[in-house]
Amino acid sequence: MKKVLAMLLALSMVFSLAACSKEETKPAADTSTPAATTTDDKKDEAKPATDEKIDLEMWCIATESDSNRHSYEAAIADMAAKYPNITLKWEATENQAYKTKIKAAVQADNMPDIFFTWSCAFLGDFVSANRVYCLDEEYANWKSELPEVMLGNTTYEGKHYGVPLTMNIVGLFANMDLLKQVGYEEIPGTYEDFIKCCDALKAAGIIPFGCAGKETWCVTEYLESVIEKSCGAAALNDIFLGRATWNNAEVASAVDTFQSLVNNGYFDPDGIALTNDEVKANFIAGKYAFYMNGTWNCADFAGNADGFGAKVKVAEFPVINADKATLGQLIGGPSDTLAVAASSKNAATAAKYCFELGKNICKYGYLDGCGLPAWDSSSYDTSSVNALTQSVAAICANAKEYVLFGDTAMAADSANTYLSYVEQVYGCAIDGAGFVAGLSKDIG
Amino acid sequence: MKNTFGNKVNIFLFLLPALVLFFGILIAPVILSGYYSFFSWDGMKPIAEAENLGFGNYKELFSSTEGVNAIGFVKAMGNSLLLALLSVFIQLPMSLGLALMLGRGIKGERAFLSIYFMPVLISTVVIGQLWLKIYNPSYGILNVALRGMGLDSLAKTWLGKKETALAACFVPILWQYVGYHMLLMYAGVKSVPTELREAAMLDGATDGQINRFIVIPYIKPILKVSVIFAVTGSLKSFDLIYVLTNGGPFHSTEVPSTLMINMLFLRNRYGMGSAIAVILILTCFAFSLIINAIFKQED
Amino acid sequence: MAKDIFDKPKSGGKSISEVRRTSAVGKVFIYIGLIFWAFINLFPVYWMFTFSLKSNKEIFGENVAGLPKEWLFSNYSSAMRTGSMAKYFLNSTIVAVATILITLIAAIMATYALTRFKWKGRKLLNSIFMLGLTIPIHASLVPIYVILKNINMLNTYWSLILPYSAFSLAMAILISSGFMSEIPKDLDEAAYIDGCGVWGTFIRIIVPLMKPAVATVGIYTFLQCWNELMFANVFINDSAYKTLPVGIQALSGQFTTDWGPIGAALVVATFPTLFVYLFLSGKIQESFIAGAVKG
Repeated sequence: MKKVLAMLLALSMVFSLAACSKEETKPAADTSTPAATTTDDKKDEAKPATDEKIDLEMWCIATESDSNRHSYEAAIADMAAKYPNITLKWEATENQAYKTKIKAAVQADNMPDIFFTWSCAFLGDFVSANRVYCLDEEYANWKSELPEVMLGNTTYEGKHYGVPLTMNIVGLFANMDLLKQVGYEEIPGTYEDFIKCCDALKAAGIIPFGCAGKETWCVTEYLESVIEKSCGAAALNDIFLGRATWNNAEVASAVDTFQSLVNNGYFDPDGIALTNDEVKANFIAGKYAFYMNGTWNCADFAGNADGFGAKVKVAEFPVINADKATLGQLIGGPSDTLAVAASSKNAATAAKYCFELGKNICKYGYLDGCGLPAWDSSSYDTSSVNALTQSVAAICANAKEYVLFGDTAMAADSANTYLSYVEQVYGCAIDGAGFVAGLSKDIG
Repeated sequence: MKNTFGNKVNIFLFLLPALVLFFGILIAPVILSGYYSFFSWDGMKPIAEAENLGFGNYKELFSSTEGVNAIGFVKAMGNSLLLALLSVFIQLPMSLGLALMLGRGIKGERAFLSIYFMPVLISTVVIGQLWLKIYNPSYGILNVALRGMGLDSLAKTWLGKKETALAACFVPILWQYVGYHMLLMYAGVKSVPTELREAAMLDGATDGQINRFIVIPYIKPILKVSVIFAVTGSLKSFDLIYVLTNGGPFHSTEVPSTLMINMLFLRNRYGMGSAIAVILILTCFAFSLIINAIFKQED
Repeated sequence: MAKDIFDKPKSGGKSISEVRRTSAVGKVFIYIGLIFWAFINLFPVYWMFTFSLKSNKEIFGENVAGLPKEWLFSNYSSAMRTGSMAKYFLNSTIVAVATILITLIAAIMATYALTRFKWKGRKLLNSIFMLGLTIPIHASLVPIYVILKNINMLNTYWSLILPYSAFSLAMAILISSGFMSEIPKDLDEAAYIDGCGVWGTFIRIIVPLMKPAVATVGIYTFLQCWNELMFANVFINDSAYKTLPVGIQALSGQFTTDWGPIGAALVVATFPTLFVYLFLSGKIQESFIAGAVKG
């Protein structure tokens, strides 16, 4: 016993010594990276930024197993070759954990030079806390390659704060094997036809839709498409961005339309307790005919080891009310964004670096099938892009208007209120009238 | 004697490491949280710009009970108190039973002890995923077993129904920590001097009587620790609920911690999140004092 | 249920061997119960191990509980390829060992002052320490972040060791006082009379007798810090100091997750702790037997 204790003690001493020595070397390294200070960065801009040695730090969510990982690695390698004087230290954190991490870093004013963020409200909160560096000056150099319309989601009070990467829309994915069983060779293009198809599927014992009720954002992928194709993109956009109230009878009836899909038994009743991972696995296993979700799934479906990619087609949701909505009105838009911290010691350099890095990530991400490019893509060789992503590109080529995902577009508090109501709608606890009445009371 | 044992310098030196850690890292944040809880603050703006609500956040917590978007704090508190109750009256007796049986010295004692503690050692992610598989409506072990026994009507979407979700969350939580308390109590049972046991046996006491009149009174200090852990742990419970339901469906499985996380990091209502934290701390503290008092009274 | 079996009316004349014999039938039932419960508790270990060797397809529906149809050892290589799991494992170990040591030292010293000395306010301080049990870790995240930033400790092992020790402290003090109150006061008083000072008594008499507490506190402190994710995720930005839970989290992608490698990483993270625990639990028993003889 004594021996063991002594050994443990000795061991632990070694460990604690190791911990100490590591700790001592740390501050030395720290001094080279910028401590978060709120000094004015204007001074740096005057200096020529190209030949001095600069360390930049970046946080993102491209973990080793994320589908975007390769595009980050390739883009960063390109940048390292082009700018040998700039050392980029980057860290990837898992999506959900990252949200906590970046918010805590903003709260403690301890941000890296460049950070990944979602557009609209997520970045907006940081901007209104004065923690984000304004990119207007640097953007002037990139105007020709990055259309200003792509900056809409990261523009606050007329100023640009984010560099968009790829963009994604909501797609109606269909398992064509199952559709063929009920006599459909293509995804039905009109709503009437679509409903007939669902009825036929149901009659054949095939569940039309899979949707993860446990992750309410998955329900919004369906609901928002139904609302948009009933009321039109402009109306929905106005509501999401707070320019119009939720008190809208057309939205209420669109919600009822969605609920009738639920009540008709088109949705897997088990879905209410499932996660998106489980629902997606079910879709791949052939349990559902349709799966409405982000087009980021394209690369995954296309790369499926069992050849699932060949069975899938993607389309946009059909128009429900042709008086208000048309094809080409889509849910989605550029959301993945890089931004520069106002506290960065080399903010001007970081901004320049950020644009070019973003451009490269966008290119590689698109070629990998992770999403569509927010940057001008006319010079890319797209022959290697998978067929699904190419059909999404074709849909987007005819896009008329985009409405960003509601929970990204709205401020954090409202977005969660909205999600609570969507959950109620999916569970049929409230109807369309209750939905708009509640939301107009709680959000406006 | 009294002089030295009352030596203030020594007392202070013995307490110093604990005091530094405790006040530097635990108490300072609590005081800050208490301060933040009076503001309508998003956690990012300078707090000077935030609106001072006085007790506004607290009032809202207790009044916002009706409607889809209600915070439902009272309900969440009720859920966690129910868990605490179940923990004390179901989980702890099981732990005690196991600890007494093993502590008596039976064959395979060590193997059992190790096995029963394993669920505690396994990360919540694994336990959570396992129970998701058990509860899965289509291929879950539970429903498959029910259908296999011809009880199709009992097969349910366990985590998706308001009526069953809470119970379905509680079962794994209670199960996982049986071993946790067992080990604590086992350590106590083992420290009962053998002479005491042997003397009682010579007097002809049965095992049950030895347990009741000798072992349990002897390990009372440990039992108190267990009860306090069980109650404060239940009130703060978060991990498994987060994995299993994340508060849903329709907020039926919310507990104060899930609400707090929601406010702090999703809704950017840092002030409100802090208010929940303060209430949680006060409730736990009150309970541990009450438990202490109850045990003292029994002595 | 144990009670029903054992709780027989006291029969004065019965010899010990008789009592033992009569309960032999009950013993069979007890063993059946114990073994059944053992299976329930072993299942997660089995499940975790098999799930670490399966594909998403088998994990989600096709083959939830059975042995893998195809043994995907590649899950392990892809888990180990991600980041540097070995490094993360080492980091977790360093953090856990340092946390346990600091917690033990601080807790046993404080317990000694709280239970053996008589002074005004010790009950109050004891209650205040209990406050430590009540603080939800999530609510302290940002304030502790700010504190660590101000003392320049972010991105070091200390940024985890200090908060973990602080959060384990209350529990450790509670457990230690439970054990310390079982050490007869005559022992340290005798030692004191023999000429050991306060510190001498503490180190020579109390600390050796606290072995059972050391093992127990060690295990419970370990539990608190080994799987902790929230602080580990936020306070460490440098891969060189990341711990295992953060590394395992990095195995899930934004919209798609391959669960097999996660299972593999979890096995890698859990099995060593199972073995360490088996070793320690043996030590606990040994120390108890030793303690009981002395007591």
